[in-house]
Amino acid sequence: MNILTIENLSKSFGDNLVIDQMSFSVPKGSIFGFIGKNGSGKTTTMKMILGLLKPSRGTIEVCGERVKYGQTDTNRFIGYLPDVPEFYNYMTAYEYLKLCGEITGLSKKTIKDRSIELLGLVGLDHNNKRIGTFSRGMKQRLGIAQALLHEPKLLICDEPTSALDPIGRKEILDILATVRGKTTVIFSTHILSDVERICDHIGILHHGKIILSGTMQEIKKYYHQDSCLIEFSNSHDRDRFLQATTIENLESRETTDDVSVILKSQALKRMMQEIMSEMIRLDIVPVKLEILDPTLENLFLEVVK
Amino acid sequence: MRSYIVFTKKELIEYGRTYKFFILFTIFIALGFMNPLTAKFMPKILESFMPEEIEIQLPPPSSLDSWAQFFKNVTQTGLFVAIIIFSGMMSREYEKGTLVNMITKGLPRQTVILSKFTASTLLWTLSYWTCFVITHIYTMYFWKGETVLELATSTLFLYLFGIMLISVLLIGSTLFKNSYGGLLFTGGFIAILFLLKLSHKIDNYNPLQLANQNINLLSGNLHPSELKSPLFVCCTVIILSIISSILIFDKKQI
Repeated sequence: MNILTIENLSKSFGDNLVIDQMSFSVPKGSIFGFIGKNGSGKTTTMKMILGLLKPSRGTIEVCGERVKYGQTDTNRFIGYLPDVPEFYNYMTAYEYLKLCGEITGLSKKTIKDRSIELLGLVGLDHNNKRIGTFSRGMKQRLGIAQALLHEPKLLICDEPTSALDPIGRKEILDILATVRGKTTVIFSTHILSDVERICDHIGILHHGKIILSGTMQEIKKYYHQDSCLIEFSNSHDRDRFLQATTIENLESRETTDDVSVILKSQALKRMMQEIMSEMIRLDIVPVKLEILDPTLENLFLEVVK
Repeated sequence: MRSYIVFTKKELIEYGRTYKFFILFTIFIALGFMNPLTAKFMPKILESFMPEEIEIQLPPPSSLDSWAQFFKNVTQTGLFVAIIIFSGMMSREYEKGTLVNMITKGLPRQTVILSKFTASTLLWTLSYWTCFVITHIYTMYFWKGETVLELATSTLFLYLFGIMLISVLLIGSTLFKNSYGGLLFTGGFIAILFLLKLSHKIDNYNPLQLANQNINLLSGNLHPSELKSPLFVCCTVIILSIISSILIFDKKQI
């Protein structure tokens, strides 16, 4: 079952088309990495899902209900963490959660129990200071707590880790990993290592379109192509090596600088054998010969080219 | 209804913890004391500053002077401070983005407007009538037995005029993303009221009369029934302002 379905969604600000006929869906229980460069339209899409922005065209469905701009009933299914969450600085973390709970319509007891549980989860229990004195990481953690307060079916996090230091990032990712299974998470980011760590589904947004989406494994398998980096001691060696017939016949050759080259093939073992025998034949000793793992970063750079 | 009470409470806590209520209330209390005291001692103070050769005859101060001070100070200082304090009621939330969380939590947009109006009006009510009670007590003490006409009606008119300005400020603050926008909007509205005074015909409906005919009511130069039309216009402006603020906010992208 899909928690979120987006069909033919478009949004333009004046003449500027930000989202162009976008369609994708997020299956229940997944952690969906929504990847794109800065300014690619991630926040715009999320705000439309929340009914804070009006789509120019297309439909959004959350838990089978259509999202309407302005009066958004579908938000009862959603917990939202904005990129830079802002709270009322004069309140304490507990008071803020209480306010959120009361607005959502939770009972007094639920609010108390959930607040204590969540503040414990995000490490803000026993903190009676006002939010105004919180660090950015603490605010981000409080943001997750308020987003999870009403046990939403869908948690939307807009770049939750982008502004944080490595420790803060790890904390946020660990918290998100703990809600896996209970809540579906959509998590936008441009930090690919974060996606690799916790997401099981991804969608790559580029020029207002989803250009690639699916499960992490599928995508990695589909785009799996073994590649190998060779660094020579000088460019003369490299050119001699590249002119060899066996090497010229390889699927893809990419020179990165004067002395290195990246070779790609579907059959890694054969390629490596050919490379090495060619080197012995030509009497070349490389400085470095390395098999490259397929990373999301390489994949991303490839598909947004 | 529950979210209305919750959000109004949040507004009141905000005014309390950001010291805005404290500032407003203190100023109105100070005005409350100053009004009768200035009226009582102004002739003596003036006398002491005059050179001895010059003799001027000042009429003995009366309770009317004390109330004249009240209406002058509340309109010129009190309302001014109140407008500045309330000026950021919506725009500050836009600027900081604090409403996003509340709206996505299911807070109806119209509740935001209604709560903001309720909380600011409550503060105005409390400050204004406290000031009135203090002035009233001291005036009765200094000028025993003296009475003025239509005191309740006259103060009620100014009170309503204050609510009208708050409601107009609410539109301004909802429209603009920074608090100067709201202030300028309200300033513009007051300027228009003053311009309308030029036309005698329109001035009969001008709600500004509720704030500058008060002394004439007290001294009996004017009967309250003559201000029926301005009163009607004033109430209409309040209702229309609240409705249009709700409509504007519904369309606002936050």
